[in-house]
Amino acid sequence: MSRHGFTPDEQRYLDGGPHGDVSGAGRAAADALVRAAEAYRDSIPDVGARLDAAVLGAVRARPRRARRPWRWAVDGRVRPLWIPLAAAAAAAVVWLGVPRVPAPSSSPVAAVRVADTVFVQFRLAAPAARTAAVAGSFNGWDPESVPMVRDADGAWVVTLPLPLGEHRYQFVVDGTVWRPDPTAPAQVDDGYGGTNSVIVVGPKGLVRT
Amino acid sequence: MRPHRFLTATACAAALTVLPLAPARAQQGNLRERLEARGLPAELVDGVAAAAAEAEARGLPTDPLADRALEGWAKRVPTARILSVVRQFVGRMGEARETLRTTGLSAPAGDLVAAAAEAMSRGMNAAQVADVVRAAPASPSAAPSLRVATALSAQGMEMDQAVSVVAEAMHNRRGVEQILDLPSMMRAMQARGMTPPEIGNQLRLGGGPGGPGSVLRPGAGPGARRPGPLGTGPGAGRPPNQRPPRVTPGTL
Amino acid sequence: MRSVTFGSVSESRDGTGRPTDGSLVRAAQGGDADAFGVLVERSRRDFGRYAVAMLGDADAAADAMQEAFIRAWDALEDCRDPDRFRSWFFRILANQCRTALRRRHPAIAVDDVEVAAPDRADAAAERSELAARIDAALSTLTPEQCEAFVMKHVEGRSYDEMVALLGVSDDALKMRVYRARDALRGLLGDAR
Repeated sequence: MSRHGFTPDEQRYLDGGPHGDVSGAGRAAADALVRAAEAYRDSIPDVGARLDAAVLGAVRARPRRARRPWRWAVDGRVRPLWIPLAAAAAAAVVWLGVPRVPAPSSSPVAAVRVADTVFVQFRLAAPAARTAAVAGSFNGWDPESVPMVRDADGAWVVTLPLPLGEHRYQFVVDGTVWRPDPTAPAQVDDGYGGTNSVIVVGPKGLVRT
Repeated sequence: MRPHRFLTATACAAALTVLPLAPARAQQGNLRERLEARGLPAELVDGVAAAAAEAEARGLPTDPLADRALEGWAKRVPTARILSVVRQFVGRMGEARETLRTTGLSAPAGDLVAAAAEAMSRGMNAAQVADVVRAAPASPSAAPSLRVATALSAQGMEMDQAVSVVAEAMHNRRGVEQILDLPSMMRAMQARGMTPPEIGNQLRLGGGPGGPGSVLRPGAGPGARRPGPLGTGPGAGRPPNQRPPRVTPGTL
Repeated sequence: MRSVTFGSVSESRDGTGRPTDGSLVRAAQGGDADAFGVLVERSRRDFGRYAVAMLGDADAAADAMQEAFIRAWDALEDCRDPDRFRSWFFRILANQCRTALRRRHPAIAVDDVEVAAPDRADAAAERSELAARIDAALSTLTPEQCEAFVMKHVEGRSYDEMVALLGVSDDALKMRVYRARDALRGLLGDAR
């Protein structure tokens, strides 16, 4: 053959089936290719069993109904992402240079700023919950549109971009149990006999105590 | 095509789920449609629409009514109670507007009326509302300032002190963004063991969490800010649809 | 042990006593997330290597797999043959991988790959160099060729298996594999 490549016999040899004459440079090249592929196979890292838990968490938050989670108007698609802790995520905890006081329950709300929206991470410890969601003034109090997923420590988390200003919210556990956020900075009467958690998102984000 | 190297490790301290969120005020559409789209029953929709019609006739905003109805419905509050709350809020908004007029605003913006009504439901009295609003250099900063004052109060500060902290900040030409930082600053100071009155004093003096020496950049507008630890530079954060760069554990 | 499902008879356990894919799928279709979790684990073991080899990156592979699993969950009623869940799932995953491949920046030339020259000619160093070369070379293939080569030579699947998983004819698959091999031979050179 005038170009680099394997002859039909060499290809059949590589397929592991019956073949004609395969020798010399062609055979050596074929064997080398197989060896290289095997070496490559052995070097492949495992995608990781942690994926299983992440998927299960994501799936538990999506009850099997025909209805889809609500869509972002521009993107038209909403999905949880397993995002390795990278720049945006690393900045999910806001430190204002304030010495950190170890508190028994640290604030579940941590934030990162990009322009006029701040990425706010909501976090809820609810090990017995089957599903968890956030509902508040930023999403019309819809208990289904912002599902949370379990992180590696078993806490429920979700990160949302929120505009600057005040936001009121609660967690919704198992679809129907409304709970305020026990470690939010402020709680207010919701006018319906319950309590809403309040955060005021400033340009520096939120302080994690 | 695919990159040519395997990464050696994944840095993942927490599985983050990031969901993009539509702006809260995106649905400017018809109030009825908004409620019906969420499955509110006809009786409730009619009742809210009637209250909204009255509000509109009086020149009062209607969005807060829909918000309250949606909240009540989501929380499975009985229809009668929701309607009662909604109608009551119409009355509050009327009072709020009267208060705002006493500060010289003949036609206050809907958002400000709503914010004032909300603040008054949370315990701010008319005089305090007027104090905040009068201190606002321009109307747009008044509404957020009211909300910040109520947040400070909800965090434990006496309403009087919260109001004067906010008013003082505005007198000192702090921008809205800096005022929005006040609740977080209060929380930081609370975490260091300061009491609300101490915090109030410190904030009024213009001090930050670090003590009187650390100031709220007096006189500096938003443009003069140096990017803080977050900054807005690369790596500060990414909109949810972009893939963040991947890092190995050592770089965190 | 046989279990009887209304309207049909199906095996719920295989010869070793583990639940069959089919029974797990049916349970998952009814909303059982834990049953789906078992399917996830099995599929990850089966196809994780494929995803990593296709995308060249364990993180990207995990992303693609997660996305595929979630789509599978959402569309589980479309899995008409629950006993062949893994093939059905594989199609979803392959789609994800191909899409991810198309979104990436162009491949770098193999010559530009910096492979540390072994100071001593030991087997481990040689294997690691070979692996790196294949890794780089795969980046230059089309998604279909890359996929075919990965399945044939990295995963070691038979053509029959590949036909079943990909739904592509035997001839077409062979053509892809042959072209991939030719391209790789050219890139790897005839040394060693």
